[in-house]
Amino acid sequence: MAGWRKFSLRSPSFLQLLAKEFRELLASRAFWLLLLFVGFLVGHSFITAVGLYAEMSGNGNGPAALPQGLSSLDGILVPTWGAYDLAATLLFPFVAIRMVSSEKESGALKLLLQLPGTLSSKLAAKGLVLLFAWLVSWLPGIAAIVLWHSYGGHTYAPETVNLLLGHLLRGLLSGGLGVAAAGLADGAASAAIVTLAFTVGTWALDFVAAGRGGFVQQLASYTPTAALRSFEQGLLRFSVLAVMLLVSIAAFVLAGIWLNIGRTIKFRLVATLVLAVVTAGAVWIAANVRATRDQSENHRNSFSPVDEAALGGIKQPLKITILLSPEDPRLTDFEQNILRKLRRSLDKLEVEYAASSRTGLFDSEEHYGEIWYELGGQKTVERSTIEEVVLDQIYTLAGVSAPDRSGEEGFPGYPLAAQPKHAAAIFYLFWPLVVIVTWWLLRRL
Amino acid sequence: MLADVSFTVGAGEVLGLIGPNGAGKTTVLECLAGLLPINSGTFKYHGDPLSSRRRKEALFYVPDGILPWAQQTVKWLLTFFERLYSQAPEKLAGLAGPLRLDEISRSRVVNLSKGERKRVLLAVGLLTSQPLLLLDEPFDGLDLRQTREVMTLLRNESATGRTLFVSIHQLNDAAKVCDRLVLLNAGKRVAEGTLGELQAQANLKDGGLEEIFLALT
Repeated sequence: MAGWRKFSLRSPSFLQLLAKEFRELLASRAFWLLLLFVGFLVGHSFITAVGLYAEMSGNGNGPAALPQGLSSLDGILVPTWGAYDLAATLLFPFVAIRMVSSEKESGALKLLLQLPGTLSSKLAAKGLVLLFAWLVSWLPGIAAIVLWHSYGGHTYAPETVNLLLGHLLRGLLSGGLGVAAAGLADGAASAAIVTLAFTVGTWALDFVAAGRGGFVQQLASYTPTAALRSFEQGLLRFSVLAVMLLVSIAAFVLAGIWLNIGRTIKFRLVATLVLAVVTAGAVWIAANVRATRDQSENHRNSFSPVDEAALGGIKQPLKITILLSPEDPRLTDFEQNILRKLRRSLDKLEVEYAASSRTGLFDSEEHYGEIWYELGGQKTVERSTIEEVVLDQIYTLAGVSAPDRSGEEGFPGYPLAAQPKHAAAIFYLFWPLVVIVTWWLLRRL
Repeated sequence: MLADVSFTVGAGEVLGLIGPNGAGKTTVLECLAGLLPINSGTFKYHGDPLSSRRRKEALFYVPDGILPWAQQTVKWLLTFFERLYSQAPEKLAGLAGPLRLDEISRSRVVNLSKGERKRVLLAVGLLTSQPLLLLDEPFDGLDLRQTREVMTLLRNESATGRTLFVSIHQLNDAAKVCDRLVLLNAGKRVAEGTLGELQAQANLKDGGLEEIFLALT
């Protein structure tokens, strides 16, 4: 069979396929619309965030204490890059869907499947080009960071890189979801419905699982929004990273199964089932990876070093029973300030959510609001959600003396009352102009 | 649904698949190309069974009525195939004349007429390098002059030793271009052979393909 050559990701054939996907991306209106709208979204978020940050920094004669502890991660980066969460939910999947659906609908898939290389290498080419598209869409976000620095703003590299990693994984997940939906559905419209249904489903899961504990809450911690949240808090959870990667890869494999039109429906259903089982197993293993890194500058995900050391010495399992309903703000406080850190510090921690109602407004239970701590056969109850109070209870139960926290230095904060100079011109005028002109020039190729 | 459809084709031969609408011509081609699932049956190449995965190394199928990569230009599409199959530039240049590709090379695929699209798809098929080329309705949409030019082009291609397997519903065209014919009706192979052999099977000594077809189906 003359003319048939070995195929690898570095082979000329793969590079040709990559070039084809790249041209298809440039011919896709969905891609250019993503670029256009993401500029407006980032611009609006950035200008609003800078204004609010300035007010909190004392520009608007606010309380003097407010500027202390101000972090540009919370004040600028997360709200500005929040635009990409919206883009990953509502815009980017359509770029991915178009890359597959257009070939299915036009019949080009029949040619593509016969070209040199495996179907997985063809999907890899699509994946790489989608990754490129997602990274190009980051240009306004990067411009926002550069602008913030030009105003004299501060960013902390590890937490910034961690946030970008979260958005990279979020994009991969959205791209994978779009490709999988397009592989499963007959047309682009059906694929869009599948994608949106999945997104709305994860939002519902997020809402339902809040404060419930157990498997449902654990599952909900891997929805795209929840997974991104940990990166936004400066926390690198390797379990989240691994789960997002696994699910993204599984989505591309699912697309591969359903794009293989030469196989029977029965074969594809069985392959899908096998993929689901293998992915579920791999995700379960990944979800049990406890390794985390607190990348935040203010160490918001960790107790103080002296408390971390003291907690590290506690080897017995700690059980916490919480009588607070999911919508009670005290539970949110407790989750954010205590539980998130305890989960990182203690090897054996069991949390039980024992409240019976959802809001707690009409809870007539006598013990509502109590938080029970059980360690080494001893039990104690406390209502406070203040870090020092809770830790002292745990130390008492464990028979450990509370460490001296007097020498600790707090996070100084980086207040900055700056005006978002040139931002409107860059995001609302210059960027759209660049996108439109580039589209116009490239469409003539 | 196809049943008991089996035939052989030799190197450098032009084998025609003829039959009425709905006979299963396209289905046969897509099953061979591994684009439709089959319940049973084997594809043998030089006497050895070839899995569906390796089948694309032996054959390339050009479907009818597709609009591949519609936003791209004809020039890009053809260059893509030329490079992918490492064809010498002379190959594409040799196709440009008979298929009148120069006049449409800057057009986008989506803007092509039915006949222009067919010429581009034929060029795509002829730029591939597999020893067996399957063409679905290669003359559909072409005018008389273009049909004759494409017939010559296909005969020249088969003269290089490449095997062509073409599905054709215009019986007069099939009789002109094919060495042998497979007659398909309602998913079954009705007859196979040269025009003379088919005339003998139908007891029509000087009968044309249309009479043979009517007699055998």
